Amino acid sequence: MDTKVKSACETCAHFNADGLKKLGISTENVDFVIALAGNPNTGKSTVFNSLTGLRQHTGNWPGKTVTRAEGGFEYNKQKFKLVDLPGTYSLLSTSEDEAAARDFILFGKPDVTVIVADANRLERNLNLVLQILEITDKAVLCLNLMDEAKRNHIMIDERTLARDLGIPVVPTSARFGQGIPELIHTISEIANGNIVCKPHRIKNVPSNIENAVKTLSSEIEKEFPNVPNSRWIAFRLLEGDTRIINALKSGELV
Amino acid sequence: MNYNPTYALVLFFIIAGILYVVFRPTKGWFWIIKNNFRSNEKVVIEDVLKQLYHFESSGNKVDTKTLVQVLNFNNNQIIEVVKKMTINDLIYFEKDVLKLTDAGREYALRIVRIHRLWERYLADKTGFSKEEWHDRAEMMEHKLSHDETNSLAAHLGNPKFDPHGDPIPTITGKVAKVNGVELPLLAVNTVGRITHIEDEPEIIYKQILAENIHMGSLIRVIENNATRIVFLSEGEEFRLAPIVAANLTVAPIEKEVFIEDNIARLSSLKEEETAKIIGISKESRGESRRRLLDLGFVKGANIKIDLTNPLGDPNAYLIKGTSIALRKDQAAKILIKKD
Amino acid sequence: MSNKNIDHILELSNELRWQIGDDFHDNLTEGIYADAAQIVSDTVQVDDSKKRFRLDRQIDKIVTSKTFGFPIMFLILATVLWLTIIGANYPSSLLAQLLLDNIHPALKSFAASISMPWWLDGFLIDGVYLAVAWVIAVMLPPMAIFFPMFTLLEDFGYLPRVAFNLDNLFRKSGAHGKQALTMTMGFGCNAAGIVATRIIDSPRERLIAIITNNFSLCNGRWPTQILIATIFIGAVAPSAFSSLISLLAVIGIAVLGMAFMFGTSWALSKTVLKGQVSTFNLELPPYRPPRFWKTIYTSLIDRTLIVLWRAIVFAAPAGAVIWLISNIYIGNESVAAWTIHSLDGFGFLLGLNGVILLAYIVAIPANEIVIPTILMLTVLVTGIDGGAGAGVMFELDSANATADVLKAGGWTLLTAINLMLFSLLHNPCSTTIYTIYKETKSAKWTAFASIMPVILGFIVTFLVAQIWRIIF
Ligand SMILES: Nc1nc2c(ncn2[C@@H]2O[C@H](COP(=O)(O)OP(=O)(O)OP(=O)(O)O)[C@@H](O)[C@H]2O)c(=O)[nH]1
Ligand SMILES: [Mg+2]
Repeated sequence: MDTKVKSACETCAHFNADGLKKLGISTENVDFVIALAGNPNTGKSTVFNSLTGLRQHTGNWPGKTVTRAEGGFEYNKQKFKLVDLPGTYSLLSTSEDEAAARDFILFGKPDVTVIVADANRLERNLNLVLQILEITDKAVLCLNLMDEAKRNHIMIDERTLARDLGIPVVPTSARFGQGIPELIHTISEIANGNIVCKPHRIKNVPSNIENAVKTLSSEIEKEFPNVPNSRWIAFRLLEGDTRIINALKSGELV
Repeated sequence: MNYNPTYALVLFFIIAGILYVVFRPTKGWFWIIKNNFRSNEKVVIEDVLKQLYHFESSGNKVDTKTLVQVLNFNNNQIIEVVKKMTINDLIYFEKDVLKLTDAGREYALRIVRIHRLWERYLADKTGFSKEEWHDRAEMMEHKLSHDETNSLAAHLGNPKFDPHGDPIPTITGKVAKVNGVELPLLAVNTVGRITHIEDEPEIIYKQILAENIHMGSLIRVIENNATRIVFLSEGEEFRLAPIVAANLTVAPIEKEVFIEDNIARLSSLKEEETAKIIGISKESRGESRRRLLDLGFVKGANIKIDLTNPLGDPNAYLIKGTSIALRKDQAAKILIKKD
Repeated sequence: MSNKNIDHILELSNELRWQIGDDFHDNLTEGIYADAAQIVSDTVQVDDSKKRFRLDRQIDKIVTSKTFGFPIMFLILATVLWLTIIGANYPSSLLAQLLLDNIHPALKSFAASISMPWWLDGFLIDGVYLAVAWVIAVMLPPMAIFFPMFTLLEDFGYLPRVAFNLDNLFRKSGAHGKQALTMTMGFGCNAAGIVATRIIDSPRERLIAIITNNFSLCNGRWPTQILIATIFIGAVAPSAFSSLISLLAVIGIAVLGMAFMFGTSWALSKTVLKGQVSTFNLELPPYRPPRFWKTIYTSLIDRTLIVLWRAIVFAAPAGAVIWLISNIYIGNESVAAWTIHSLDGFGFLLGLNGVILLAYIVAIPANEIVIPTILMLTVLVTGIDGGAGAGVMFELDSANATADVLKAGGWTLLTAINLMLFSLLHNPCSTTIYTIYKETKSAKWTAFASIMPVILGFIVTFLVAQIWRIIF
């Protein structure tokens, strides 16, 4: 498998600004569906607005977006539908407020998942990032709020981060439009299969759980050879998540 | 008709008073009358079975007289029902002592299963206070069908224990064992973990709740005599009368475990102090426990107070670079070691 | 796929779950965080040597301090309202002049020139047009001031601090601290506030937040409060203080609304929605300097115009209804007059009158049109000439003229106070009711949330009226 990951610096030279067209709310006949996921208040809606030209409400408090919003943009003649999701701390819970985002990431089958993270609080944001990487291998990390990180004297080695996570990392300051062109380009590259990710898998799991997960996921793979994230399903079954159990029964997961 | 504001006001208060007397919560006449229609035969049978089961598992023997005393029904009704139950082969007499047949025991286990599952449900998924769990489960145990019970169990992830630490019988009637002995039996300096808190009788249970003692916490006995039992847990000292302490079951820990002396609850953290999180008490369950973990309250994380509240509660804690506000009762369930 | 194999997987997972025990979730989360910590230590460097003075913390210390926390909250609320009241005055009368004094007669004469039938002319121009014009004149200016200011506060990051400060009160009333956020959203629009309750993760507390959101005075009700406070309550004070007194009266009603919100939450959580608060956690984000002009621009374009559009959409048919009921006759009385007379007795008991009650029935679709409806109906029953014919909605140019009409309709200070109370405590508008239904998916709770406030309103106004009459 090709595991080469291009960093933002390499890709920006190819970026073709003329190829971008904001489509607002028109999302018909799209080629790709892109999900915007991330912790609350990391700037997802701001990224969404700068990509689609729409004016989703943003606000400086966690939980501003509560329903999912859709918009579109066109890049190099391909149409993308972008889905702005409410913020989530985790996909491991079953709480009501996070259901909308959780379900879309899991069952909406987005072609690319853009994970918007707050560069100032990378550690707690990685909790969600690592979970999403168990689910999908087509993802890009949008390291937002870089302007604030700079002000707080936080320096992030994006290349190493991209290598550790196994997905492209694009630093942005969405509020000021910085890094958005690179983000669009990276999204398009992943969607078209030009960048192949090899996402990080959660390592520090106690051995008894790891063994249980292995046993269960190999059973799942036997039954559903095409399911890309048997390990995640195993995690959820061990937790007894009824939503996943039902999805498994109805065949929603494959 | 003559209008006079004083009369209008008086009339209003009379009507309001009547409505209050009829509909006030739990003691209103309307509710009392409604409840009286409820205690039918099925309820009595099931309560008899459950009582017999509890007596049996605690090794006590019961005759009809004691049964009549402990159950809250009309005496004649109980005697009627007991007669009927012997005919239906749910119970039998050995001399004077009442015993469960196999079928009766199976039935009793089913009721116990529903009761404990429902308490688990109330604890994990709803906001009802601990004082209410028991009474609500008492009502529910007569209502849920077999299938409903099983899907409830599945929904809860087939839990092994109820929130008091009592084992929940499985579908096949298997009952796990509770480890440990009653607290008054422990010698001074024994270290152990609370594995069960008995919720009957209510008066004692309420005292335990008022003390804020948590299931699953580690304790160390520091004084044990006929008048009181004193133990340390989570950085706080608790003093209980022996009769209250007897309702706590503690599993002594044999190995020389290292019980840290400066373990404390997050709620006791003061401004300017820093600490490390040791874990979350078992008392925090279900969704709220998960949320705390997701927010970064995990073992080993550094924590300190970021902001104190003008009204005293909640405080905001700085954890993993973010300020997160938690109420005191939640903070009391996070265990820390002060630096 | 055979179900048998899936059952086998599920059985296996149940079996394994028992083996690995209760701590699965804890262990997994700790594992993920351990991974995260490793990655972060590889990639992130914080230059501690340059740690600056943390402005954030200093602000936080002040806005959440024991001495200043609550006064600052109150002051901010007062400032926003004061700027809204003062700032909206001038553009409001300008718009009223333009739309009502200039364009309306022009439209009338245009209709006459193409000899439009009288009923169509009345229906369209005196009904629909006037309702819309009134809504624009009265609502646009305050909204255009209120929303941007609110958005600036929101973007700055102040709202979570309000929730933080108030949480203890919410806890004591058995509710969730984030209800403070949905409550403030409700100051703009109750329907928006109700959608925002999705941030509350436990169903019971969310339901409480939905039911009590109506106690936040919404956009459609601020103008009513402001107008009545100005012409009746401000007028009894010495003129130097009159604007201060009317501002205090409006703030008083808003604060009373909060008191009702806490009280109702408490009563609900003690009775039908029994239970303890399950969890509360709130992330306090860093302050961010709002982008002033951009915020002003987007909140004007989006919020203001969208809300205004909604008001117009509802005001138009309501205007038509008003015109119809006052021009359709049963015997020798119009439907409106007949209804008013039958409601008068009940209205009197509440210290209100039939006109006000009918206006609130007509205004169920949009609270914004309560005042013009009241004016129009008052003219209809008193027969005084306010400048237009039967069933014509209008806004009198000066507050004095409005006061004269209302006084001629038998209004006293008591009527004014009770109208302000009733405007706070009555059923939510139709959009809000629909939103409640969508969010709760329960007809029972929707009905409860719609009827409970009216009953409260009846009780409160009744009590105030009787006591008032006993004392004075
Ligand atoms: N300084 C700075 N602020 C930003 C940036 N991106 C977003 N913001 C601000 O961060 C706040 C949150 O942005 P949103 O886009 O609403 O965040 P969100 O992720 O959609 O939040 P939820 O919908 O609550 O999950 C807003 O006040 C934005 O103006 C950025 O790159 N730099
Ligand atoms: Mg958003």
